[in-house]
Amino acid sequence: MALRELKVCLLGDTGVGKSSIVWRFVEDSFDPNINPTIGASFMTKTVQYQNELHKFLIWDTAGQERFRALAPMYYRGSAAAIIVYDITKEESFQTLKNWVKELRQHGPPNIVVAIAGNKCDLSDAREVPEKDAKDYADSIHAIFVETSAKNAININEVFIEISECRIPVADAAGGTSGKGFKLGRQASESRRTCC
Amino acid sequence: MALQGPEELGEQVEEPEDLDDQDASSISPAEEITLPPGPGGDEEPEEALLLPWDRFSAWLHCICVVGFDLELGQAVEVIYPHHSKLSEKEKTSICYLSFPDSNSGCLGDTQFCFRFRQGSNRKSSLGCFLETTDRDAPPCLKREQGHYYGYVYFRQVRDKSLKRGYFQKSLVLISKLPYVTFFHSLLKIMAPEYFEKQEPCLEAACNDIDRWPTPHPGRILTLPIMGVVIKVRIPTCYDKPGTSQLVQSAQSDSLVSIVLPTIHEVDLFRCFYPVFFHIQMLWELVLLGEALVVMAPSPAESSDTVLALVSCISPLRYCSDFRPYFTIHDSEFKEYTTRTQAPPSVILGVTNPFFAKTLQHWPHIIRIGDMKQAGEMAKQMKVKKLKNLKTLDSKPGVYTAYKPYLNKDEEIIKQLQKGVQQKRPSAAQNAILRRYFLELTQSFIIPLERYVASLMPLQKSISPWKSPPQLRPFIQQDFMKTLEKAGPQLTSRLKGDWIGLYRHFLKSPNFDGWFRNRRREMTQKLEALHLEALCEEDLQQRIQRHTEVETVDLVLKLKDKLTQAEREQLPVRPGTLAKLRAHIEAVILALPEDLQGILHKPSSP
Repeated sequence: MALRELKVCLLGDTGVGKSSIVWRFVEDSFDPNINPTIGASFMTKTVQYQNELHKFLIWDTAGQERFRALAPMYYRGSAAAIIVYDITKEESFQTLKNWVKELRQHGPPNIVVAIAGNKCDLSDAREVPEKDAKDYADSIHAIFVETSAKNAININEVFIEISECRIPVADAAGGTSGKGFKLGRQASESRRTCC
Repeated sequence: MALQGPEELGEQVEEPEDLDDQDASSISPAEEITLPPGPGGDEEPEEALLLPWDRFSAWLHCICVVGFDLELGQAVEVIYPHHSKLSEKEKTSICYLSFPDSNSGCLGDTQFCFRFRQGSNRKSSLGCFLETTDRDAPPCLKREQGHYYGYVYFRQVRDKSLKRGYFQKSLVLISKLPYVTFFHSLLKIMAPEYFEKQEPCLEAACNDIDRWPTPHPGRILTLPIMGVVIKVRIPTCYDKPGTSQLVQSAQSDSLVSIVLPTIHEVDLFRCFYPVFFHIQMLWELVLLGEALVVMAPSPAESSDTVLALVSCISPLRYCSDFRPYFTIHDSEFKEYTTRTQAPPSVILGVTNPFFAKTLQHWPHIIRIGDMKQAGEMAKQMKVKKLKNLKTLDSKPGVYTAYKPYLNKDEEIIKQLQKGVQQKRPSAAQNAILRRYFLELTQSFIIPLERYVASLMPLQKSISPWKSPPQLRPFIQQDFMKTLEKAGPQLTSRLKGDWIGLYRHFLKSPNFDGWFRNRRREMTQKLEALHLEALCEEDLQQRIQRHTEVETVDLVLKLKDKLTQAEREQLPVRPGTLAKLRAHIEAVILALPEDLQGILHKPSSP
C-alpha cells in the first residue's frame, strides 16, 4: 500500500481551538486548559484512505501575533490548510479572511483550504451565522465544516475531506497522480452539519 | 470513503517509524542487527519523565547569535534559551570563533564549525540519562566530554544603512554532539529564517527541538523543525561500518520532509581533493596523532578538512584535540603554538596568514586553496615539497619531511584520477575513498583487536565467590609476535613497514584512547559475567551454612554489585538484575526481623 505524506497546517486567531482540534484528531482527547502554542507544534497521524495510507504531518501554528511572521514556514509545501475560527467570536472570522488572502498570495498554488468553525457546541453564544460562513467558503471553493473539538464533532471529517481532495484525480486518466485540487475546485457536496 | 483503523496507525512523534520503510526511507540490513539488551534488559529510562528543556539539552547546550558591534567588536547578542550558562571565557571564545578570522571575503552565507574547551565543569542533571543514549553510539559519535562544538551559519551582506556598510551576523549552535552534517542541515533551515524574522523564530525553533526524541542511536528519528521534518538515524556501534544509511525517496518534497543519509560524514573526496596524492600519508599522520595544521582560505574549508582528517581513521576515534577552526584569540593559542616544546598532538585548522609564521616549526602542514607566499614559505621551512605536488596547482600541498611507513597505494590514486577524468559524481568518489580508508584502518586494527581479545581470562576462571579475574596486561613484544602469522597482510595488499607503524602507533594518544576504551569494555564484561555467575548460585543454601554476620555482609556486597551494575550499565543478560534483586530480597527475608528493617532501609528499588 502506498504511503503519502501530507503536510497540513492549521491557521487562525489565538484561542479558536487549533491545538484542540489536532489533539482530538490525533489523541482523541480534549483539555480545556491547553497552553498557548509557541511557534508551532507538530504531530502526525496516519490513516487509510481507499488504497492509500495518508500520513498527515500536522503543523499546528501559534495564533499569537508575535508568531504571525513565521506562518509561511508552515504553509510552505502544505497540501492543505485548515483555517479555524471560533463561531462565538466574529473577530476570529475576520482574521480567517485575512489568512485566506495571504494563502492566495503566498501559499502553494494547489493548497486545499478547509474552513473550520470551531466551538459549535457553544451555539448559544454564536456570533457567526453558519450560513454566512458557508457562503463565504463556497465563494472561495473551500471545504467548510463546523466543528467541536470538545464534543468530537466533525473533526475526523475535515481530514477525510482533505484526503479526498488529495487522492489522485483520475486513475483512469493515468499518469498525473496526486496533484490535488486547486483553490478553485468545486465546493464539496458532502458538507456535514453540526448540532 | 473508508477511514479505517486510525487508532492503530496513529503515531506519536517519538515512535520509531515502522511505516516508513514502505516508501520515504528504507534502511540497510544494518538495522536488522539486534541491539544487545539494555542494562538488565528491563530498565530503559522513561523519556516521559523528562522536564522542560531536558530534550533540548540532549541535543544542544544553547543557541547564540553573534553580531558585530562597532565599539566592542564581535559580541554575543542573544543566548537562547535565556537560562543557559556560558562563562565569560566561553563567550569570548564563541565570539572570535563565530566569525571568519581574516579578510577572507566570505560574502554571502558561509557555514563552518569550531570546537573549544569547556570552561567550567558543569554537571548536567541529565548526565546519567544521556550516558544511556550514548552507550550504543560508535566511539567517534559519542558526546564530547571536555569540549563543545560550535556550528556556525555566518551571513555577510552589503547594507548601506549600517555604518560599516555590511550586515555581519552568525547564528551558532553549541553542542557536545559531533553530528556535523546534521547540524549544518539544521542551520540551513533555521538561519535564513532567523535573519529575516528574528527572535520569535528562535523561540519556535527551540520549542520544536525541546520536543524531539533524544538522540538515541539505532532509531529512525523524526525531528520536526520550523515547518519541515528531518529524518535521521544515528548509527550504533553494532552497525557494520559503511552500511547504515537512510535513503531519500525520489518523490519527497524538501519543504515537507528531508531525509539525511548521514549525520556526521563529510565529503572526504571534496576535502582531500587538493592534496589527494597524499591521502595515504595523511592517514598515517592522523593515525599516529602527529601535530598537523591545515591552512585554508576560509573557515569553511579549514573546518571541513580537519573533520575529514579526523574521520579518515574511523571507526577508530581520534583521541587528541582537534580544532576545525582555530584563531589567534583562542585561549589555547599560547599553549599550542609555543616553540619551547615540541608541537602537541593536535590538528588545527587556521585561516589567518599570521599562522604561516607562528607555526613554521610544525612538522606537517597542509595547504588548501591559494594562499600567498606558499613557495617562499616552503623554502624558509626547509622541508621537502613532495614530488607529486607539481602535477596539481603548485601552491596547495602537504609540507612535511615525514616518510610514510607503508608503500604508496598507486591503485586508489589511479582509481580516483580516473573518476576525475570520467567526471564521476563526487558522492561516488567519496564513497570509494571512504571505503578505502575504512579497509585500511580495519586491516590495521584487526590484529590489535585479536591480540587484546586474547587478554581476556577464560570463562572457567570466573568464580562467583572470588572477585572477578583481571585482564592480562598488554605486552608489546607478544603483540608484535602475533603479527608474523596474523598481521595486516591477511587483509591488506599494501607492503611496507607495518611493524614500524605499529611501534609508533603504540606510543600515540590514539592507541592509548583505544586501549583504555577496550579495557573498560572488557573489564565490564568480566564484571557482568561474574554477576551472572553469582545470580546462578543457590544463595539460600549458602547462607544456611554461614553466620548472621556473614549473611549481612553478603547482602551489603550484593547491594554494591547491584549499584555498580546500574551505574556502569554492565552488559549483563536481560533479567539478571531482576534476579539479583530477588536474591537480595530473599536473603534479607531469611534474617531476623530487626535486621530486615535495617537492611531494607536504604532500599534498592
